[in-house]
Amino acid sequence: MNIIEIEDLCHRFADGTSGLQHVSLTIRRGEFAVLAGPNGSGKTTLLKHLNGLLLAHSGTVRVGGIPVDRDPVGVRQMVGMVFQDADSQIVGETVYEDVAFGPENLLLSAQEVDRRVKQSLAAVELQVSVDQSPHTLSGGEKRRLAIAGVLAMAPQVIVLDEPFSDLDYPATVQVLKQILNLHRNGHTVLLTTHDLEKVIAHADRLILLRDGRVARSDLPANLLKETEAFGVRAPCATRMGLEVESWLS
Amino acid sequence: MAELTTLAYRPGISLLHTLDARVKMVGLVLISMACLRASLPALTAAALAMCVLAIHCRLNIRALFKEIRFFIVFVAVVWIVRATTTPGDAVWQIGRLAASRQGVFEGALVCGRLMMVVMSGILFIVTTRPFQIKSAVAWFLAPVPLIPHDRVATMMGLIVRFVPVIFGQARQTADAQRARCSENRKNPVYRMSKLAVPVMRRTFITADRLALAMEARCYNESRTPRPAPLGRRDLIALVLIICASLLTAVV
Repeated sequence: MNIIEIEDLCHRFADGTSGLQHVSLTIRRGEFAVLAGPNGSGKTTLLKHLNGLLLAHSGTVRVGGIPVDRDPVGVRQMVGMVFQDADSQIVGETVYEDVAFGPENLLLSAQEVDRRVKQSLAAVELQVSVDQSPHTLSGGEKRRLAIAGVLAMAPQVIVLDEPFSDLDYPATVQVLKQILNLHRNGHTVLLTTHDLEKVIAHADRLILLRDGRVARSDLPANLLKETEAFGVRAPCATRMGLEVESWLS
Repeated sequence: MAELTTLAYRPGISLLHTLDARVKMVGLVLISMACLRASLPALTAAALAMCVLAIHCRLNIRALFKEIRFFIVFVAVVWIVRATTTPGDAVWQIGRLAASRQGVFEGALVCGRLMMVVMSGILFIVTTRPFQIKSAVAWFLAPVPLIPHDRVATMMGLIVRFVPVIFGQARQTADAQRARCSENRKNPVYRMSKLAVPVMRRTFITADRLALAMEARCYNESRTPRPAPLGRRDLIALVLIICASLLTAVV
C-alpha cells in the first residue's frame, strides 16, 4: 500500500527557474527509499512538497490518501522532516524544549508532551541532560536531537535531507543506526543524499533525480552501476565490482 | 563544545530551583527595587542573605566573578568617580584629585545596590529554566490587551537560542576574513562593512531556515500551556519575599 503518491508534480521557483518537472513517484508504507542526485537536482524541493512546505504548481501530492494542499498541517503531523542544517532546525533553548516544540504545537496535554519527549530522546539514544543547551551539542548529537524533535510528533513517514552531511565517521554511524531503528519500528523513511556509500546497503529502493526529473527508480542493486551517469558517485565497492557493505558491519 | 557562559541555568535541587518562575520573577523585581532604596546596614544584610542563597544554590562563585569581571570594573569606576566628585571631608588627595569620606560612603552604597540587583538577576537566571522564564513572561503578559503574549514568549525563546549561533557565525566570518589579511586594512568602517554584510546575510538565511523548520513542526500561537497553579510553598515564599523587600526598603 502506498503512503506517498506523487503525480505529475511540477514546481517553478519565484525567479522562473524550474525546480521539479513532471515528477511521478509512489512510496510504499514501511519502505526505505534513498533519493540521490547532484546539487540542484531537486531533492530538497521534492521533500518540501511532501511536508506541505512547498505546494505544487501543477500535479498532486498525496500522503496517506490526503492531498497535501488540502490539509498541509495534518500532513505535517504524518510526515516529519529532518533538515540538512540541524542548527537552524533546533528551536528550543534546551534539549527538552526543542523536542517538546512539536507536541506543544499539536496542543497535547503537558503529561503527553513529557511522555513523548522522554520516549523520543530514548529512541535516538541521546544521553545528554534535558536542560543542556542544544548549541553545546556535537554535530551528531544535534542531528539526533533534530530526529527526536520530529519523532515526538509521532509521524508515519520520516524524510531526512542529507542527514550525514558534516558528520564524522562515528557520528555518521550513530545517525545511520537511529535511521535504521526507525525503519525497523515501522516508519517509512525517505532520505536524500549525494553520497550513496553510507546508506545504500540498507535501502529498499534507489531513486535518481536529474534536472528536477525522476531519472531512474529501482532496486539499488539494479542501479548502482549507472549512478555516475546521473552525477552521483557510485560506492567504492561497486566500482571495484564488489557488493556494497553496510557501514555498521 | 564548551558552554559559552556560566551565567545560564544550572540544574539543581535548591529551594530557589523548586520555586515557581513567576514567584521568582516578582521577587527579582521587588528585591531589586528594595535594594535601590536600601541603607548600608539593610544592604549588608541583604548581601549576606544573597551569599547564603548563592552557596545554597551551589553557584561557582569564582567562575561567576570571572564572568562578571567587566561589570566589577565598571562598578569600581563608578565608585572612584563618585568618591572623587562628591564634596566633603578629604580622605586622601593626589594632586588635584581628592576623595571625600562622604563620596566613598555614597559610592559604596550605589555600587552595593548595583551589585545586589545584578546578583539577584544572576540567582534568578541560574535557578530558572529558560522555558519557565518564557512561560512566566507569557503568563504576566496575558491580561495585557493588544500584546500577543505567546508570540512574545516564543520570540524571547528564539533570541536566547540564536544569539550564540549568530555570534558563532560572526566569529567564523571574522576569522575567514582575518585569514585573508583583512587586518591590513586600517579603515574600521571598511572592515566593519565587510564583516556586517555577510554576517547579516547568514543571519537572514538562518532565520529563513528556522521559519521553515518551525512551520514543518506545525508551529502556531495556540500551544500547550505551561504554568501550573502556584503551590503552597510558592505562596509562602512570595509572602516572605514581600516582607523581606519591605524591610530592606524601610530599615
